[in-house]
Amino acid sequence: MYLTVRDATKTYGTFTALDRVSIEIEKGEFVCLLGPSGCGKTTLLRLIAGLTELDGGEITLEEVALSDLPARKRGFGIVFQSYSLFPNMSVAENIGYGLKIRNVPSSEIAARVTELLELVKLPQVANKLPGQLSGGQQQRIALARAIAVDPRVLLLDEPLSALDAKVRATLRDEIRQVQRSLEIPTLMVTHDQEEALALADKIICMNHGIVVQAGTPEDLYHRPATRFVAEFMGSSNLLSAEDVAKFYPDLLATRPASTETYLACIRPEQIELIPAEDGTATVRSMSFLGNLQRLEVDSPTGPLLVETHGRPCCCTGDKVHLSIASQDCTWVLDDADQPKAIPA
Amino acid sequence: MSSIDQTSRPRSRQSLDADRLLTLACVGLPLIGLILFFAYPMVIVFLRSITVADGYGIGNYTEVLGSAGFWRATRHSLTMGGATTALSVFLGFILAQGLYRCAFRGKWLIRGIIVLPLLAPSLVQALGLIFLLGRNGVISRALGIEIEIYGFWGLLIANTLYALPQAVMIIGAALVLLDARTYEAAEVMGASPWRQFRDLTLPAARFGILNAAFVCFTITITDFGNAAVIGGDYSVLATEIYSQVVGQRNFNMGAVVGIMLLLPTVISYSIERQAMKRQQAGQTTGQVAYQPSFSPLRDLSIATVSLLICAGIVAVIGIVIYASFVKLWPYNMSFSFKHYNITLAGGYSSLWMTIVVSLGASVGGTIAVFMLGLGLRRLPQALAQPIQILAAMPAAVPGMVLGLAYILTFNSTATPLYLLYGTAALIAIINFYHYHTQGFLTVITGFRQLPPALEEASGSLGAGLGRTARDIVVPFVAPMLVSVFFFLFMRSMVTLSAVVFLTTPNLSVAAVTIMRLDDAGLTSQAAAFSTCVMAVVCVAILSMRITLALIGRRSRNKGMA
Ligand SMILES: Nc1ncnc2c1ncn2[C@@H]1O[C@H](COP(=O)(O)OP(=O)(O)O)[C@@H](O)[C@H]1O
Ligand SMILES: [Mg+2]
Repeated sequence: MYLTVRDATKTYGTFTALDRVSIEIEKGEFVCLLGPSGCGKTTLLRLIAGLTELDGGEITLEEVALSDLPARKRGFGIVFQSYSLFPNMSVAENIGYGLKIRNVPSSEIAARVTELLELVKLPQVANKLPGQLSGGQQQRIALARAIAVDPRVLLLDEPLSALDAKVRATLRDEIRQVQRSLEIPTLMVTHDQEEALALADKIICMNHGIVVQAGTPEDLYHRPATRFVAEFMGSSNLLSAEDVAKFYPDLLATRPASTETYLACIRPEQIELIPAEDGTATVRSMSFLGNLQRLEVDSPTGPLLVETHGRPCCCTGDKVHLSIASQDCTWVLDDADQPKAIPA
Repeated sequence: MSSIDQTSRPRSRQSLDADRLLTLACVGLPLIGLILFFAYPMVIVFLRSITVADGYGIGNYTEVLGSAGFWRATRHSLTMGGATTALSVFLGFILAQGLYRCAFRGKWLIRGIIVLPLLAPSLVQALGLIFLLGRNGVISRALGIEIEIYGFWGLLIANTLYALPQAVMIIGAALVLLDARTYEAAEVMGASPWRQFRDLTLPAARFGILNAAFVCFTITITDFGNAAVIGGDYSVLATEIYSQVVGQRNFNMGAVVGIMLLLPTVISYSIERQAMKRQQAGQTTGQVAYQPSFSPLRDLSIATVSLLICAGIVAVIGIVIYASFVKLWPYNMSFSFKHYNITLAGGYSSLWMTIVVSLGASVGGTIAVFMLGLGLRRLPQALAQPIQILAAMPAAVPGMVLGLAYILTFNSTATPLYLLYGTAALIAIINFYHYHTQGFLTVITGFRQLPPALEEASGSLGAGLGRTARDIVVPFVAPMLVSVFFFLFMRSMVTLSAVVFLTTPNLSVAAVTIMRLDDAGLTSQAAAFSTCVMAVVCVAILSMRITLALIGRRSRNKGMA
């Protein structure tokens, strides 16, 4: 394992911002820290960067503990949401700053800066000041500055949040490309599940200062462990065990044997609608989203969200039967009241 | 479980790497300075005020409180403070309203003129008034009337001229904050200009007005120069301290009066700080600046009043310069340089000394407040807070009281600090600590605008604190540092109250020399000396403008290539 955080704990006064958080990043891996605002993502990132001190736990890089190493000696790269370019330095000086500190000869710095400007697709701006660039351009330069020194780990704290949707999508792809080609182990913080799904090799989903679930994007989307993850990673229909027993008994087979409350989680696209005169459910409303339709269906268990691809199968007011394949149902722990880590 | 906790406890807290040492030095050195040159002398002055023949007691206080002279001086100080405050806030509001809410041309001239009184020792206004309205004043002679300028009225005018620039700046700062959109909304809802003024402008400016009032009050009751020159028999607390200490060599009584003068200034200053916070809290972002359109009645009347005030200021300052070039005021008005030949012992040496001292105070002071600002950012809030409060305290202490505290502290052989007594260094030090608060707050404001992420980014790239300070922080706060440097320089050039006790026959400063020349009846030479001081300060202002313009251009030019 390349970078390991074990039982990291951070408290502010009586408030526990991080409670024994453990995560791992492998060489070349792109990991996303995903969670709602205030759940402790930035705090964890800053602990790894060495910008905040740990209250407990340990962070190791290639089996070497980092706790004694101040931020400037860790050799990490960091990009903040707020661009944070040095306003008094030109773009080239910004990118070359880390190398200058390492006493790299200026000719080498110049060559490296040119190379990086090509990499982030901004070869023309070397002599501009940060204030003369757009937000998206500034963030590209911030990325170039962070990777200029061949960082051992790249840390990104919501680098795309301040940008508008279109720029965000392009820059997202570029970050991914750059990371792939350089194979820098990367930890990116985001609260946008779509971003995490598109970018990550591994997603670490956090809530209230703890890791709720970690896994591949597919794992988290299709096999959420808890109600929080299910709801955070896109829309889902959650049914109680009693309702399932009454209306969809086939799905009970996979229910875990546990005393705790589990809910059945069914993604909207996994429900099939079969129009029928004697259908038990009614289509209440429909919205057309181009390649798919989103329907609200009144069913005996309450309203359900359904997504269908292709041509619309039915209209508002139609009676339908609902069909759910048993492998498409995931049982999730109901952590709505108090979030719990998944039992190991 | 517990074993893991122990091994994983961060050890970095104990390790003292270079950055920690540097942080410690950045906070530690200025802090030692503050304690040694501010807190300790203030303790001494307090102890002296309660020192009686057989130890400590409140004997001095009962004696002072029982004396008619003290009560008269207190009454005068409060009356004068109140009257000056009312007048300068009233006029300051009109001027600020003209500058920021009216449409007429030539505002730059008004801006330039109202700050003139700050560029000279405060006694220059008094000198100017004497040349205008005194027994031999041009106006009194032209009108053939006898005006009694020494005393209340003369002092009121002189103090108002001195307090006015502060009032305009503070109230102006509050008026600038008003959002154009609220006025547009009010306009659409049918509010008349008068209603808009009453319902929007006044409430929004109220903290600014309150703040200005307290600043003016403090300036007035602590000023010594005007009272010494034009106060006549109208004794105030500042002149009372002077006569206790210099006239009667009664240090303990001087200390008592000093402590009494401290009471109103501390109260006024703490209210002012609160008002300031409220004003800042009311700020919102994303405002649209107000663009006044021409409204004849409002603009012409306010422009006229502003012009009259400016004419008055120019007359008072200008007459001093004019009188310095006149052969024999008022009998022979032909041009002459003869008053520039200073006949008082020492001649111009005190001017050069003042320049040296001012440079010392501004170089040392700028470095000290920068270090403190840099270090405080890296301290936990619980530690930084008390240091910040201490750093903001000197503004509440009148110059006279600080000066007295210094003479009590440094003219005593009890500590090695005695070595500093009678040196130019001590005068530079007192000037810096006298104006510590303003310099410190300016730098802190600069630091607040510096996003912490910049330093963190630099740190992550491998830069230590020293390197980050040089490459990132200094360029960012450079304009602030330049302002602090020239502010300290200019205040040190013209200040009188703090240094009046520390000068010796061999070591004097410009403002004291002017007072001595005036005392000796050499009024024209006093005018000539004042003109020289003003010239130095004007050069300083010009240099500051040029430096700031260069900094601005350098950062702009960089992006052009
Ligand atoms: N320096 C601090 N002092 C006190 N509380 C803090 C501090 N930094 C963060 N917190 C608190 O810790 C929690 C987690 O913050 P953060 O890690 O920034 O969340 P996010 O997941 O949005 O990045 C928040 O509730 C925040 O208020
Ligand atoms: Mg955050």
